[in-house]
Amino acid sequence: MPATAPAQIELPPPAPPQSRRRREWSSIMQDRGLRLSSDTVLSWLTRGSSLAILGMLVTLLVVLTIAAVPSMKAYGLSFLTSSEWRPNELEQPRRGPDGKVVMEDGELVIETLPPQFGALPVIYGTAVSSALALLFAVPLSLGAALFLVRIAPRIKVSAPVSFLIEFLAAIPSIAYGIWGLFVLVPFLQGVEMSLHQSLAHVPGLHWMFYSTLQVGTSTVERPIAMTGRDMLCGGLILGIMVLPIITAVSRDVLSAVPRAQIEGTQALGATWWQSSWEMLRYSRSGLFGAIMLGLARASGETMAVTMVIGNNNQIVLSPFAPAQTMSSLLANEFAEASSELHRSALVQVALILLLMSLAFNVAARWLVVGKEARTAAAH
Amino acid sequence: MVRWFMSLAAVVLGASVASAEVRLQGAGATFPNPIYQRWVTEYQKSHPDVKIDYQSIGSGGGIKGITEKTIDFAGSDAPMSKKELDAAGAPVVHIPTVAGSVVLAYNLPGFKGELKLTGPIVADIYLGKITRWNDAAIAAINPGVRLPASAITPAWRTDGSGTTFVFTNYLATQSDQYKETVGAGKQVKWPVGQGGKGNEGVTAVVQGTPGAIGYIEVNYANANKIPHALMQNKDGKYVKATPESVAAAGAGAVQQMDKSLAVDIWNQPGADSYPIAAFTYIIVYKDLGYLKDGAKAKALVDFLGWATTTGQSLASEMDYAPLAAPVQAKVKEAIGGLIWDGKPVLAAN
Repeated sequence: MPATAPAQIELPPPAPPQSRRRREWSSIMQDRGLRLSSDTVLSWLTRGSSLAILGMLVTLLVVLTIAAVPSMKAYGLSFLTSSEWRPNELEQPRRGPDGKVVMEDGELVIETLPPQFGALPVIYGTAVSSALALLFAVPLSLGAALFLVRIAPRIKVSAPVSFLIEFLAAIPSIAYGIWGLFVLVPFLQGVEMSLHQSLAHVPGLHWMFYSTLQVGTSTVERPIAMTGRDMLCGGLILGIMVLPIITAVSRDVLSAVPRAQIEGTQALGATWWQSSWEMLRYSRSGLFGAIMLGLARASGETMAVTMVIGNNNQIVLSPFAPAQTMSSLLANEFAEASSELHRSALVQVALILLLMSLAFNVAARWLVVGKEARTAAAH
Repeated sequence: MVRWFMSLAAVVLGASVASAEVRLQGAGATFPNPIYQRWVTEYQKSHPDVKIDYQSIGSGGGIKGITEKTIDFAGSDAPMSKKELDAAGAPVVHIPTVAGSVVLAYNLPGFKGELKLTGPIVADIYLGKITRWNDAAIAAINPGVRLPASAITPAWRTDGSGTTFVFTNYLATQSDQYKETVGAGKQVKWPVGQGGKGNEGVTAVVQGTPGAIGYIEVNYANANKIPHALMQNKDGKYVKATPESVAAAGAGAVQQMDKSLAVDIWNQPGADSYPIAAFTYIIVYKDLGYLKDGAKAKALVDFLGWATTTGQSLASEMDYAPLAAPVQAKVKEAIGGLIWDGKPVLAAN
């Protein structure tokens, strides 16, 4: 093949008609005793490519699962419910049932506590930050999509606005992160500090500004330091990042609404707002799919979130407290995770994240594709 | 077309045949990366036939690499643990290259003068027991300065790091409660405060949060002009982290260097020694047979010898502490013990 390829490139005459060229090709092949038709080759190549992609997903799952086995064995299901994430060993004097230290031969008995890994705080962090992201992004995206479908074509700005929104999706994650760190974080810090001053003493809002923690044996309450690097900031950055994908998919879903549907509502005397609502209602499953796609992106997003979320493995209700997501945990810890169990626990987190994203994507696809099929049938 | 490809192939082949140079691949700790890169550049000026590549992938990655023998030497901030030594299979040699220190950077708006701290106070801050800057314990060792009543926000590294390893090990020598509840390691679970990824992350927290305190490498603090505290050492003196005070800590530890050069140099005696310091190491196998090439073994030994003697003069200007003379003597001995084909590499020269 490599030997003949350059010769063939030089052979075809300048711009022959499509059919003649094809005949020449096959006759060349036959002249050289190559009976394999190009169609067969291409068909096998494409089959191979699609299998390779499937194979990658399967091997990824298999490899992650195998690597996660030590952690699964050590913690079982408690991995999902424990909130203790401590990669180092602890040396403590053994204490008896009465709480006193145990002495043997006049010396303290030291016992070593093995590292402990529980994923609940990062699962919580991923869930809450993604939910916050959707809270910010969904109203904006749906509004923008409606504008693109209903108003923009009339004033001829549909193409440039679409381009700009899609351009947002092409900005690398790290660029969002840097913007978040240098612009969003200081801004939020200012807002949060003034909120703290004005609202901290309002009854019912106490939980937003204070967290409880264990110091030795006693539980104390501490004001949360308003640094701007917190769950709220993580959610905001994610919201901005998922905005383009939700907008783009919603736009496509909305523009698939049959004209008859809109004209029908207008014929019945619906106002612009009422017919828009009808559009949204009509395509709700497709829109839900768009939101699921956004959720899938939000839950897996790493770099930008790592830079602004504060990276603390804790479960604190306040949006002003630092948190950690599954992906930011991996970004933080994987490079220096030297013990096998630590590595394995991180891989298990990655596996959970992969399965979650897979579930979101499958759900989204099912909803969007299902909607399109139904819309096509209506025509 | 074909001819063009062939001539290209000939050029590529010819180039790789012509370069009979020695290539050494190292990887590991990020902390010494700036000086290692500098050493490589300087060393290659006088040894153009040797190509050395050091990738700062983290100490853990370096140790993994040398254990699997996929690299020629590893950089690590923490000595290999017993488990890791067992996994390595053959005797390894830790060669201290430079020492570094960890400082406590703070953000106290309006505060003039130098803040003094002790190990137990820092431990209590990180345990959440000392919560305000005007706490009686801090005020007692800082007479004559006005400390604000603001809350203290301790900042720490969220990623596993040699910096955390040194800092937590030091705190474990200062407070039993700290040792039993938080403990020491490359990464620990902190009960209070704010996390940041890398020195830059911790610095961002400290600079962005009035009342914050954070532990970072001294090079990073100096490069960014962040004020840091004087620490009380084992002799009760308050010392600033400088190349001299850290080198003094290294010299203080030399009598512990009998079998292995991997010794802890935090909390060392000596009036001038800074207490939160550590060596960073290059780790190789004692028998260089794994390099599979006598020329490589010779080059590696020569580079290590150069870095720990001539190269040391570059350390201070890059804010690392050079090896003190007694430590250098020990290192020379250790490098002399590296063998190739059953014989010491240095003696064969």
